[in-house]
Amino acid sequence: MTVAEDQRLDAMFSALSDPTRRAIVVRLAAGDATVNELAEPFNLSLPGISKHLKVLERSGLISRGRKAQFRPCHLELQALDVAAGWIEENRRLWSERFDKLDQHLRNLHEPPNGDRHE
Amino acid sequence: MNENTLRFTRIFEAPRQLVFSCMVEPEHLTHFWGPAGVTTPLDTITVDARVGGAFTTVMVNDRDGSTYPTSARYVEVTPPERLSWIEDHSGMTVTITFTELGTRRTQVDIEQTNVPEPMLDPAAQAGFLTSLDRFEAYLAQHAGAHR
Repeated sequence: MTVAEDQRLDAMFSALSDPTRRAIVVRLAAGDATVNELAEPFNLSLPGISKHLKVLERSGLISRGRKAQFRPCHLELQALDVAAGWIEENRRLWSERFDKLDQHLRNLHEPPNGDRHE
Repeated sequence: MNENTLRFTRIFEAPRQLVFSCMVEPEHLTHFWGPAGVTTPLDTITVDARVGGAFTTVMVNDRDGSTYPTSARYVEVTPPERLSWIEDHSGMTVTITFTELGTRRTQVDIEQTNVPEPMLDPAAQAGFLTSLDRFEAYLAQHAGAHR
């Protein structure tokens, strides 16, 4: 994983650490929505919801229409794929770590190549 | 148990106390903490193995020298049974349980909870489940290798 990808994941995880923002992501998974449509169910003021949307937008998880009058919010599915890929990376990390630990434990038991000099 | 928990299990042919020590002593960690192609130099590892203590490492890519710092705080240190920490950047909790299967055999279970929740979208959730399936296949393979 590159440093840039890592930073992007940090931003995504940080964005998703808030329950309101997670709920917004769930809502957007069902389809695009305007700021007003998002503010209503969460009982948030427009500045309040805008703050959350800015965090989500910076993380790359959502994008917002440039032309449309109400700038609808759109969930970036490929950004979620990056996060799903992280799960696979994490699995690989522990597998490889454990492979090395296994080898390390064997080396402790008997020196590599059968050498036995003290 | 929910979908945002990741579990890994491995059985090691070594006494439980030794396997536990490997997870909390820098002199051991430096040998295996980095995955394939990644080294964790001894002088980058900090272990303050007590509740609230820091666990930090810097993993270095052997190929291009790029670095991956990690930092966490211990939330449970119960030698030689259990070890748990919270990663600072992701908020993820990693809990490692060491189970004695004999005098020279130890089962290590890793449970990662509070995995960040981007898996709420059905497509991503499918990807997550595929990963778990692959992991189960992997486990089955290795369970066989370890008898």
